[in-house]
Order: sequence, then structure tokens, then C-alpha cells
Amino acid sequence: MLKFSGLPATLAAAAVAMTLGAMSSGPALAKDIVLGASVQLTGPVANTGRYYRDAYQLAVDKINEAGGVKIGDETYKLALKIYDNQSDVNLSVRQYTQLVSRDNVNFLLGPFASNFALADSAVSEKYKIPMVQGGGASDQIFARNFKYIFGTLAPASNYFGSTIEMMKELDPPPKTVALLYADDAFDVSVAEGTRPKLKAAGFTIAMDERYSTNATDFNSLLSQIKSKNVDAVLVAGHETEILNFVRQAKSLAVAPKMYSFTVGVPSEDFRKALGKDADYAFGMTAWLPSADLKDRWFGDAAQFASAFKAKFGYDPDYHAASGAADVEALVKAMEDAGTIDPAKVRDALAKVDFESLYGRIAFDNNGQIDLPQTVIQVQGDALVPIYGVHGKVAPPKYPMPAWNAR
Amino acid sequence: MDLLGQVLINGILLGGLYAMMALGLALVWGVLNIVNLAHGAFIMLGAYVSLYLFTYAHIDPFLGLPITAAVMFAIGYGVQRGILNLIVRAPMFNTLLITFGLEVVLTYLAQLAFSADFRTINPTYAGDSIVLGPVVLPLARLMAFGVAIALTVGMWLFLLHTRLGRAIRATAQNLVAARLYGVEPRHLYAVTFGIGIALAGAAGGLYGTVSQINPYIGAGLTAKSFAISIIGGLDNPLGVIVGGLFLGILESLTALYIGPTYADVASFGVLVLVLIVRPTGLLGKAA
Repeated sequence: MLKFSGLPATLAAAAVAMTLGAMSSGPALAKDIVLGASVQLTGPVANTGRYYRDAYQLAVDKINEAGGVKIGDETYKLALKIYDNQSDVNLSVRQYTQLVSRDNVNFLLGPFASNFALADSAVSEKYKIPMVQGGGASDQIFARNFKYIFGTLAPASNYFGSTIEMMKELDPPPKTVALLYADDAFDVSVAEGTRPKLKAAGFTIAMDERYSTNATDFNSLLSQIKSKNVDAVLVAGHETEILNFVRQAKSLAVAPKMYSFTVGVPSEDFRKALGKDADYAFGMTAWLPSADLKDRWFGDAAQFASAFKAKFGYDPDYHAASGAADVEALVKAMEDAGTIDPAKVRDALAKVDFESLYGRIAFDNNGQIDLPQTVIQVQGDALVPIYGVHGKVAPPKYPMPAWNAR
Repeated sequence: MDLLGQVLINGILLGGLYAMMALGLALVWGVLNIVNLAHGAFIMLGAYVSLYLFTYAHIDPFLGLPITAAVMFAIGYGVQRGILNLIVRAPMFNTLLITFGLEVVLTYLAQLAFSADFRTINPTYAGDSIVLGPVVLPLARLMAFGVAIALTVGMWLFLLHTRLGRAIRATAQNLVAARLYGVEPRHLYAVTFGIGIALAGAAGGLYGTVSQINPYIGAGLTAKSFAISIIGGLDNPLGVIVGGLFLGILESLTALYIGPTYADVASFGVLVLVLIVRPTGLLGKAA
């Protein structure tokens, strides 16, 4: 019995503290607007999931420091409620349901990855709570006429768009292309968008192969790339697969004129894991930490990147910028609507149009924004922007030399 | 034809690595009758041990394999004495539950300790290859293959010809008789499990030199090791070589001729077929 004796005292103290807390914060600051999200903090994609948790936290802290959100005469602070979905899509659906039905959060932020956003957006639609998500790019998410889902990643179907534009200008231009993609929502959307673009640009698709997500062995595909003498290889997959792909390409001495990957290249730990072997790899990003991207809360994207690095100890990539922009979009919409009523904020979201650290945020009718992808390439230790909206920015290292000639 | 030759070589080298991965699982399963669902997690731990030896002590991953194996043996011995010994004669279901729990614990501890970042063990020669006419032999895979075959054959000779090996087999065959001859089963079980985990650790070291590692690779590796053990049979360590090579070649050819998405369908399809037609494995004694 003894060990319970402290309990009533603790409860009383807590009650007093709560009362004091509420009193000292004053009436104008008494309310929090709670943003809820279920993010991959553990499990196989935790190393990308962390970008979202950290970006949400940084944006919320920054906005609160600046005084919070002013809606009409009242000022609100933002609060975050984040669950770890352990990289399990079924668990994430349950957690979003819990966020809206039991935790009564005001608005939703997204998880990472298209297959998650695809499933989770059914919850926001059902409960009519707007979700702004920066982790799912698949066109499928926005093809269902849902009213409450907004996305800040550029459409998956256009990930290779700028790469194909660049390929047309390469010297000598590649002729044959291998298109390899994993069998999940995002990568299938990438492949479906890329195929017609390649044909329209006059390239021959020598290989068009789908592989299982989490595949570890690419030796058969690589041997075919070599035997068919493919010039350019475009891979839509996950970081783990692409790491294995590059390592196995080296060990089988397979060096096409160029290869490009949908993920990995912009992220620091991908380049660290491959070391020198990451050289020559092309990728794409819709965001670079440039001082030209002005932002109301952070000043600009460069300041956002340094604040992020200072707080969390690693460099943000476009996932993080997209996540921070999601918080800003919700805040902008609440201010425009002058209320936190979910339906009215939803209507305001559909109309927002503002410059942010991530770029211009304005949603199309389907709820997705359209940002151009900049082609990037690993050149030695540097990550170099090669080809943007206005054409060539820097010369690509092309063609890629044989592995033993580096 | 060159392509077929290259893909066959790829399959054989992959098969060697598969055999190495499955060896420890088959040993523990055959002797202790424990299907160790945490086997892949131990492979993952072994990969991290090798990674840290390589990164911080600059020990070559192949030369460091004995150290990795020794560390993992100690962990395995401790886990068996402290945890698994409690359920070694319990129904199969209990051993499945406890090893599954162990897998989850090890995976999440690994994430806390090593973070979810992807790592590679990347010695300078990791991407080198030997060109033999039209085919290319990746050096690291070839070395991993050599180590895998040597360890598997070594394991076979050890079980056949050494006193400890005979004691291990005797305990598996008839516990009462083995005790009458002076075998101390608690120690022997722990040694066997330790050897199984040491082999898993060595497999992890090899895996890290040819693939990427992260805390979550374990479950998939357990599934693969399980399939190889079934296909090869548990009676004989050479079974895992047969099972590993069979699976490696099958997956490579499937990826070439049918499509990469069907590689897993083929390997687990064969698993089901073997269970129906030859439940004791390709090398197993007729039931």
C-alpha cells in the first residue's frame, strides 16, 4: 500500500500546476491548434521518416517563436501530435483514425511515402479533416477526386521529365534506355509517366522491367543491361535497392553511359554509404537550399537548411523542405479563412498561393502542386545541379567512364 | 549465350552466400529443434560487428571474420543459457514465440544503437572483378562464396569427425543415450547455439561486403534461410549448399527469363513443392 501513498499528493500538485499554467499563459494564448501525423520513426523507412518529424517540429517551433497564428482577434499556438507507425501502413491508418476521432486534432500532416498517403488520405476524406502531406507523390493519391488531401511533392509521373529533357542535349545522345522500377504505388506512377515521355523524345526502350520492392539481387538485370549495351538506365526504386544496384553494377563492371535514380542521390547518408562509388550518379530534386527561395518564417531556404542542420545534426533534403511547407500551408490557410473550421480551412487551402522556403505553394484542382525537378549529379564530393527549368545549369559528367578507369 | 553464362555464375555465387546464411539456422534447427526466427537479426548484428571492426579498427572484413564469429559465439552462448534453455523442450510454438520476440528486440535495439541509416562495408577491393572471357566474376562475391563453401564443408567434417561434433549429433538423435555417455546437454546446447550464431555472424560480415545493411534486413534473411534449410534438408550441412545453390540459380534464371518480380514467387513456390514431394529436403533421407 505504501507505494501508492504519494499518488493523491501528486495529483493535487498536478491539478494546481495545470490551473497555474492556464492562468499564467493568459486568455489569448490559452488555445493550441493541434496538428496530427503518423510518421515512420522506426522500421525500414525510418531514415526518411525522420525528415518529416524533424521538419514539422522545426516549423511549428519557428512559428510559435514568432508569436503563433493570428486568426481574427485571437492568437493560437501550434502543437504537434506525432505517432510512430513503425513503417507499417495498416498501423498508420489506425493512428490517423485515432488522431481525428479520439485525440481530436485540428488538422493532419502527412506520413512519408505514396503507399502510406494513399491509404491514410481515406481517413482525412472520411472525417473531413484536411491533410496536407509532403511525402506522397504518386498520381494515384490525387486521382480519386478527394477533397481533403493536399500534396506538396511534384507528381511522380514527372520525376524523370527534366532528366529526359537533359538526355536530349547530351553529347553523344544516349539511344537505348532501360527503365527499371519497383512494384509500389510511387514507382509504378513514375514508370507510367516516364514511358510515354521517353517514346516522345525518340529514345528506344530496350528494357522495361518491374522488380519486387526490397529486392536485394540485381545481378540478372545488370547482366542484361550489359549484354544489351544499354546507354541510359533510369531506376525508380527505394534507397536500399539503389545502393545494392550501384554496388553490384561496380562488381559486375557494368557502366552504362549514364544512370539516374528517383531517390537517394539528394540524401547525405546515401552518398556516405557509397563513398566514391556514388560519383556520376544522376538524380533529381524539386528543392535545393537556395537563398532565392524567400520564406515568411525562416527568411529563406538557406536559413531553413542551416537551422535544420544546427538542430538535428544532418542536412535536410527535399522531404524536409516539403514537410515544413505543409505546416506553413496549413497556417496560411487558417489565417486566410479566419477560422479553424476544417471545411473552411479546406476551401482556403485550395486557394492558397504563396512563396515559401520550398518554392511556390499553390495547389491544382486535384490537390497536388506542380514543381519542376532539377537534375542533379554527384560529382566528386559535391552534389551539382545540372539541368533546371531554364535548361542547363552546369555541365554534366558524361558519359560515365568504366569502373576500372576512374 | 554469354548472358546465360553470366547469369548462371551470378546465381551460383549468390547461392554460396545463401548457403552460408542458412548454415547456422539449419544447425540449430536440426540439433536443438528450435526454428530460430531471430536468425536474420543475428546475421544483421554480425554485419554491424564487421562494419565497426572495419570502420574503427581498420580490420579487413574477411580477415576480421574470426573476430566477428567469436563475438557472436559469445552472444549466442549467452542467449541460449539465459533465455532459450528455458524452453528447449517446450512445444514448438513456444520456441517460435520467444525467438520472434528476440528478433523484434534485437532489431529495435540495433536501430537505437546504429540508427536506421543504410551502411555498407566497403573495402577498396569490394567492387573489383575478375574477367574470364565473356563472364565477369565479382571478387567480393567470389571470396564470400569460397568462405561459405569452406565453412560449410568444415562444419560437416566437424560434426562427423570430432568428439564435440559427435556429441552434438548424438544429443540430437537420442538425448537419454547421450547423457548416459556423459554429455552435459545444457552446455552442449549452448555451444551448438553459439556455433549457429557465430556462423550467422560470419554470414553477416560477408553480406555487408556485397549488399547494404540496416537494422531491418533480418526478417527477410530469416525467411530465405528457412526456405534454403527446407529445400536442402536438415540431416546434413551439405544440404544447405544444395539448397542455397538451387535457390540462387533459380532466382537468377527466373529474373532473366520471367521477370524480376517473380524471383520470390519461384523460390517460395519451390519451397512448397519440396514440402509436398520431399518433406525431408532434397538431400534428406526418404521419409
